[in-house]
Amino acid sequence: MNIKALEASTLYGILLPVLLLVLVMAVNVGPVDIDLGKAIQDWLDDQTTIESLILFDIRLPRSLLAMLIGATLGLAGASLQGLLRNPLAEPGIIGISNGAALGAVIVFYYGIAGIAWFLLPLGGLIGALVAMIIIFLLVGQNRSIITLILAGIAINAIGGAFIALALNFAESPYAMQEIVFWLLGSVSNRSVNELYIAMPFMLVGWGMMLYCGRFLNALTLGEETAKSMGFNVARMRLVLILGVTASVGAAVSVAGNIGFIGLVVPHLIRPFVAYEPRRLLLSSAITGAILLLTADIVVQILSDNGEMKLGVITALVGAPFFLFLILKSRNVLQ
Amino acid sequence: MLMKPYCLCFTALLLVSATLFAGEKPQRIVSIGLCTDQLLLMLAEREQIASLSVWAKDENMSYMIDAVGEIPLNNSSVEEIILYQPDLVVASQFAAWDTAKFLRQLGYEVKQIPTARSIEDIYALLRQFGEWTGNQKRAEAMIRTMQQELREISERYAERPTKTVIVYSPNGFTIGANTLENDLFAHAGYVNLAAEMGIEGFKPIALESLIAADPDVLQVDRTLSRADSLATAYMGHPALEKMIEHREYLDIPTRLRICAGPMITEAIENMARRR
Repeated sequence: MNIKALEASTLYGILLPVLLLVLVMAVNVGPVDIDLGKAIQDWLDDQTTIESLILFDIRLPRSLLAMLIGATLGLAGASLQGLLRNPLAEPGIIGISNGAALGAVIVFYYGIAGIAWFLLPLGGLIGALVAMIIIFLLVGQNRSIITLILAGIAINAIGGAFIALALNFAESPYAMQEIVFWLLGSVSNRSVNELYIAMPFMLVGWGMMLYCGRFLNALTLGEETAKSMGFNVARMRLVLILGVTASVGAAVSVAGNIGFIGLVVPHLIRPFVAYEPRRLLLSSAITGAILLLTADIVVQILSDNGEMKLGVITALVGAPFFLFLILKSRNVLQ
Repeated sequence: MLMKPYCLCFTALLLVSATLFAGEKPQRIVSIGLCTDQLLLMLAEREQIASLSVWAKDENMSYMIDAVGEIPLNNSSVEEIILYQPDLVVASQFAAWDTAKFLRQLGYEVKQIPTARSIEDIYALLRQFGEWTGNQKRAEAMIRTMQQELREISERYAERPTKTVIVYSPNGFTIGANTLENDLFAHAGYVNLAAEMGIEGFKPIALESLIAADPDVLQVDRTLSRADSLATAYMGHPALEKMIEHREYLDIPTRLRICAGPMITEAIENMARRR
């Protein structure tokens, strides 16, 4: 492709205003028309009115959550693709998100989540970590695309089956219907409570992933070279894996498994950062936030009662892109 | 291949037995759903009832829990029900519909009560049920009592102002026009804002729309299972909690309003009293 790499200042000069614009659009979208100016005024006057309730207790937390989750998925996708040196690595496709969803489902439906606020994201983290360890055991040093996909299919299927099993035995009569939420993801009716629960884990995870930028750059030259450049490969890999699992685990535990953002975003951005893994990280995070927020706007326009799930939109856009990637790398597969 | 003649004989036997009893009251009635359990307990003679569904003894759902006594309970499965050799199986339209369909294919007499969308529908339903079970007189008496009670309620609370209401149930569902609940609200002196918004039947309502509608009274069901689920987590949204801080809750027990029957007058009295 003949896309010219952009200076960091130009790239962020484009991405950040777009993010802000999409955020403003997102808080404007909803089933009820409200006067945002009045909402902000009432909020500043510390008055609880219909307008301030809708803006500050419903729309803003939901949009911020969508932003943070989108950023998490974009960043995790870029990190995994760098770490596994495989263009199809993504939390959803290789089964980490389903692992996280399984952990969260067990904690949420069996009364464990009520004991302490951090147990829900922690459950997601542990589920993600288990899936990640299995992936590493299955794939090992074999970096072929096909091994990774096959391992991913297996982990995904096992995760999905256990989610269904766990929901089947849950006490709540609604549990079984809610499998759609865990498999497709949604931020509808998510509130500031979920934002507070997931944010600490996501932020710590981001920090760990961003810290590994230089290591990912070195890794493109091979593990031996990275070692010779002074990186403790085993330790850096562990930091990166924990970063991915902490942030993805937290994101999935409050919004379910939202697919394809982590896959698509790094591919969109890569040409603009001269294929440099380190520069890919932050830019993928911002682009992920933009895309997921946009997807949530589309969901709200198409269905105002919260019945449509985010994963429907991300899959409609992401799955054809996934096919395109596979076709493009067909020669690598053969 | 061995099955077929056996089935035919069995069906023939049933048909014969059905014709033998034609014109008489059914004597071994089995109910496979909560609403028909309650109707049987209210309208039929004890000796006519062969079995009721397990829901008849459910603390949250059943209005007639004390009347069940020693009557055997079933889980609405085909196997259990044919053991009772019923001459009439009663069910509502949506409860265990697959069982009802299967039983009909096997040649059993299955009657399904229609969904009531108004109090008039309940009267029609009671008449119909009385006819099926051979207890027409009791049904007529029950209808007269209901009409009497409704007149008394509307006189007793005529002075009180009309209030606006919205129902909010797990998963964000509300109840709109063309439903029994909507008619109950009208009889109890409430205006259902969901119906005013154009919502028909049982549909989800966006939390934003609920807050913007700003009803005087919010009806939530707190007797439902409190076990953790996203559906019930809806009810804990901070925006909803802030909104209802200074509002009234209307909490009508499920057993009074889940089925069409004479107990709905109790639900109406309950609502009107708190207007």
